Amino acid sequence: MHKNGPVALIFHILVLTFVLAPLVIICLVAFTPENTLSLPTAGLSLRWFEAVFAHPDFVASFWNSIWLATLSATLAVVFAVPAGLAISRYTFPGRDFLNALFLSPLIIPHLVLGVAFLRLFALIGATGSFAWLVATHIIIVTPYVLRLVLAALSGLDRSAEQAARTLGAGEWTTFRRVTAPMILPGITGGWLLAFINSFDELTMSIFVTSPATVTLPVRMYMYATESIDPMMAAVSALMIAITAVAMLVLDRAFGLDRILVGQR
Amino acid sequence: MAFLSLERVSKEFGTFTAVCDVDLAIEKGEFVSLLGPSGCGKTTTLQMIAGLVEPTKGRISLDGRDITHEKPNRRGLGVVFQSYALFPHMTVAQNVAFGLEMRRIPQAERTERVREALALVQLSAFADRYPRQLSGGQRQRVAIARALVIAPPVLLLDEPLSNLDAKLREEMQFELRRIQRKVGTTTIMVTHDQAEALSISDRVVVMESGRMTQVDAPYRLYEQPSNAFISSFVGKTNLLAGTWRRGGASSGAEIGGVLLETPAPEIADGTPVTLSIRPEKILLCDAGAGRLDGRVASRFFLGSQWLFTVETPLGIMTVSIPNHGEEPPAEGSPVGLDWSPANLRVIADNAAAA
Ligand SMILES: Nc1ncnc2c1ncn2[C@@H]1O[C@H](COP(=O)(O)OP(=O)(O)OP(=O)(O)O)[C@@H](O)[C@H]1O
Ligand SMILES: [Mg+2]
Repeated sequence: MHKNGPVALIFHILVLTFVLAPLVIICLVAFTPENTLSLPTAGLSLRWFEAVFAHPDFVASFWNSIWLATLSATLAVVFAVPAGLAISRYTFPGRDFLNALFLSPLIIPHLVLGVAFLRLFALIGATGSFAWLVATHIIIVTPYVLRLVLAALSGLDRSAEQAARTLGAGEWTTFRRVTAPMILPGITGGWLLAFINSFDELTMSIFVTSPATVTLPVRMYMYATESIDPMMAAVSALMIAITAVAMLVLDRAFGLDRILVGQR
Repeated sequence: MAFLSLERVSKEFGTFTAVCDVDLAIEKGEFVSLLGPSGCGKTTTLQMIAGLVEPTKGRISLDGRDITHEKPNRRGLGVVFQSYALFPHMTVAQNVAFGLEMRRIPQAERTERVREALALVQLSAFADRYPRQLSGGQRQRVAIARALVIAPPVLLLDEPLSNLDAKLREEMQFELRRIQRKVGTTTIMVTHDQAEALSISDRVVVMESGRMTQVDAPYRLYEQPSNAFISSFVGKTNLLAGTWRRGGASSGAEIGGVLLETPAPEIADGTPVTLSIRPEKILLCDAGAGRLDGRVASRFFLGSQWLFTVETPLGIMTVSIPNHGEEPPAEGSPVGLDWSPANLRVIADNAAAA
């Protein structure tokens, strides 16, 4: 094992503090019994969590966001896996274009995307429905899945697939029994990144949500522009908890190292 | 019509020709080795038979059926890959069972056959492990079991024993040979170990840069190599370049002013030729008593034999003599070399040779 020198150690501690401190403080503030944003010095209280769950708009937005993230991440997987297979295994006209097209939402600012979709939906009269919101989220999260699927496919030993073929498996069976399980870490990692990105997307969603489909981040934004109270901290703590749980589940199932760093 | 035949099969990767005009007819139950240096096209040839690489030209047929463009899963051949190609997400037993599952063999029979196959490769205790928990040689044996268990009509083995220790390798060679005898499986094995090719096969195919240069029984390949490359690739040899001289009573090659008598085909006087003599065909005797005198440059003890390098007027010669249990001539001592002229082979390397 390689040991860090004192300078590197201090650097790491500073970075970690910088990244984690706001999260820790938000989570602590969520348990305050006071009416203002403050650290819980006089005991812990769950009153602000109760406030969140008593607030029907927040509860609706929460479920809305969960559904949105689940659906768009899952559909992104459905698109990205065949696309990844085609891009990594075949040469066909327009292959590079397709690759660039699928990845372009990573580069285009979400603000621009939001305005563009708003305009498009106004033109075709499509505003307001949950389905269109899902469509926009699929577009912005697909690149994450595609990247991870492509990485998994490029590291894949294709002779295992060949072995399956010689043992009598057809192309679909080979995909189902050999290829898919072998790239599963990439797929689940991609799904998770897609889920998280969709779950806390704000910039574009502000433009494309309708009053009936307000997502949790948009709801928080709307609420925060009017007043700031510890209920915001409680919602934030809940979001952090959901993300952390997703990460933990994934780490138990597949190992985060394998998914995010690509180690076996 | 042979059981498995390749007719003028070629494979080009872009402008590079990996395999060129291979013609090969293999009988049912035959054990054939593909022998050749790294990169000569052995794996490519095997993969064309397996259906994993599409030939650019030519025709492959199995049991009278043209399989040139048939999908690999319809050929039903057993393949052991050079890289093993195990399924990393399945246990050893699941790996081995995969082919049986594809054939819809009932569960009970499947379990039994997997058990037998694992016993055969001495891995019964490892059935529930994952490939990453096995050593290289153990993985290789899983790959062998996985190919054998489906009882294929043809086994294609790509260096299946390369990672095993000497003892295990011998046992596996014996097993492969036994199965092939018992079941009559036609077997093609790629190897670059010439000893393995010679000891196990009915016939050996030598490949050089994409072409087959000799197809022969092991014994004939060793004794009558068709060119200088084969004679030095298959076993050790001494190669001597000279000029052919035809006399009245005796003809032979003149090398460095010495005439080496050789019974040889009709060759025109003055033709440049290459002679080959195997180290074990040369005898050591007292200086002056043999056909050539020299001095021992070095000697190596190999257990069952001694290997000498001897400085002679014709250059360095390698000589091997059996270990009779006595100390042979020391380094630096003068010795004589003798051989029977029949063991001095003229290699038909040169265009002018008959
Ligand atoms: N997909 C490919 N594209 C381009 N060239 C290839 C490809 N596959 C093989 N080759 C080339 O074809 C030649 C033969 O390769 P092959 O794998 O058949 O060699 P081999 O005889 O099995 O060698 P080794 O003993 O090292 O396994 C090599 O020069 C290799 O570089
Ligand atoms: Mg090879």
